[in-house]
Amino acid sequence: MTRQLYLSQDTSARAVGAERLAKTWAKEPGIELVRTSSRGAFYLEPLVEVDGPNGRLGWPNATVRDLPRILQGEGGVPVEDLAFLAKQTRVTFANAGVTRPHSLEDYRSHGGFKGLEAALRSTPQGVIQEVTASELRGRGGAAFPVWRKWQAAQETQADRKYVVANADEGDAGTYCDRMIMEGEPFRLIEGMLIAAHAIGATKGYIYCRYEYPAAARSLRAAIDILTRSGYLGTPTYPSPLEGEGKGGGAGAFELEVFVGAGSYVCGEETALLQSLEGKRGMVQAKPPYPAVSGLYGKPTLISNVLTFATIPTILARGGPWHASLGTEHSKGTMPLQIGGRVKRPGLVEVPFGLTLEEAIEEYGGGMSVGARFKAVQVGGPLGSLFTRANLKTKICYDAFARAGAILGHGGIVVFDQETDMVELTRHYMAFTADESCGKCTPCRVGSVRAREILDGIAAGQGQPGDLELLADLGETMKQASLCALGGRAPYPVLTAIEHFRKEFQ
Amino acid sequence: MSRIASILKRLCETEHADSRRPNILGTLLAVQSELGHVPQEAVPEIAAVLGVTDAEVAGVLSFYPDLRIQAPGRHVVRVCLGESCVANHCKRTLKELEKTLAVHLGETTRDGRFTLEKVYCVGNCAVSPTVMIDENVHGRVVPASVSTLLKDYR
Repeated sequence: MTRQLYLSQDTSARAVGAERLAKTWAKEPGIELVRTSSRGAFYLEPLVEVDGPNGRLGWPNATVRDLPRILQGEGGVPVEDLAFLAKQTRVTFANAGVTRPHSLEDYRSHGGFKGLEAALRSTPQGVIQEVTASELRGRGGAAFPVWRKWQAAQETQADRKYVVANADEGDAGTYCDRMIMEGEPFRLIEGMLIAAHAIGATKGYIYCRYEYPAAARSLRAAIDILTRSGYLGTPTYPSPLEGEGKGGGAGAFELEVFVGAGSYVCGEETALLQSLEGKRGMVQAKPPYPAVSGLYGKPTLISNVLTFATIPTILARGGPWHASLGTEHSKGTMPLQIGGRVKRPGLVEVPFGLTLEEAIEEYGGGMSVGARFKAVQVGGPLGSLFTRANLKTKICYDAFARAGAILGHGGIVVFDQETDMVELTRHYMAFTADESCGKCTPCRVGSVRAREILDGIAAGQGQPGDLELLADLGETMKQASLCALGGRAPYPVLTAIEHFRKEFQ
Repeated sequence: MSRIASILKRLCETEHADSRRPNILGTLLAVQSELGHVPQEAVPEIAAVLGVTDAEVAGVLSFYPDLRIQAPGRHVVRVCLGESCVANHCKRTLKELEKTLAVHLGETTRDGRFTLEKVYCVGNCAVSPTVMIDENVHGRVVPASVSTLLKDYR
């Protein structure tokens, strides 16, 4: 009898040995390797699973020598009962670790295309009403009400409209978009198809980072499959959904992957559209907003990968269902990506509203062995630092705004006592100086000057007044930059100085 | 026909109907994927084919960190300096790599085998520190595992 072993093909699983297991076991008689997405419990990877009598049994951190134990069922743990996973509210990541990324059969049997079918039964206006009722806010970082973009793009008349997925997931410490693109690309594309139906777009792009080669390959493979099966491409294909829809939508939408070339600022939507046109990724002043005049001057609905991936379930289960999760102004779930010096780094999808402390302790498992908590940064390289005193802050847009912080794309990075705060802030400003597009002087020049001041402090050659100068410079950057790169870059530096002033003197 | 001319010719033939204007970045990436880099001397030729100025092409070429004007070593080793890697003390891994390869960031080893570079996050944060070699992502790379890791890349 052939035994099926489930093993993730996610980049992070392969990065810690899943590929070695797959290669070694490929020729093993009597076993069939099923390559799935990852559950996001990366501290367990490589994780090998088999079907048990009551759900999957798993062998965490498996090595090639574990095969006999696995085949005998010795020592396997019920995966879905693990506290890390059992306490989560998996919606967008419900199928993570369960299904095969490019199996349409798996996708359909796990709720795939239910949202698209509902959208095609409804009118474009009806779809926008569901999105409005869901109170979904953009998940890329700006948290803009999603329905407003859809409404504006739908209302603007044009011969051609675009739907663009921002897959330039550049915030360090985040990887949920990568997991979607590698693990369930059909979900992203289904969300884009629903958007195309709602605004009347015929062409879409996914702008994927250069650093995500596996994601780009996965997306291209998924587009191929969906084109062959009639969901994508020109309307000459007989659509599998024909008869159900009221014209437009599935089958009439063409989708392409465009790979960038390593620029952080291209994650900003106007810079991304410039880059997609092949130009330098320079931030543009708004208005006009992309929904009115975007790619090649046409109405363009641009949203983050995670935002699009949230759409199918909203359409399948209804906007009010989505609005029933979370807090007053932060509805739905958020996949937090917990990393740094914690015991259990990984993806944690939960409704908004838990505290930072709960995220770090209950899901992250507390600090790694030998590490003591020093600070936590939320929201990528532009996010503020929190100390132990602020860990009761609730994870939702309002509480973070009150704290002068951002939730960004949900990255949470925990630093330990060995972290040198001067070196860390110097690192942040070096990053901004490297990545500034150069349009706004405060960002272009300010980041370089700030880095130089911090270089001096790090070398023990700080001058009196340095910290005041940094504060002043930071204030100018906050006030006078067009986009969040310049406007937010001072936050990690200034919060580090605020909380760890002694280290800077 | 020069190698660049033949790449450009092929690109123009498959040029998408959507790109009413020439896509400079797409063209440069296509050239790089065939040659490994975009030689500075190729700028006028690319500009002529696309019908744009040399400055526009040079501007795009210098804007994007992943477009290179010099051929890299046989393998590109990229150390991740994203926050999760920094928190997991990737600078120690970087130091070990610099010591083992006897180069600094941005340099190529004398035998042309490795180019050492930095990268800001490859989304491998839950198993950091991360080192990406060519298109392969390696996780939990502590200083002690550096020499074994490099052995697989000849």
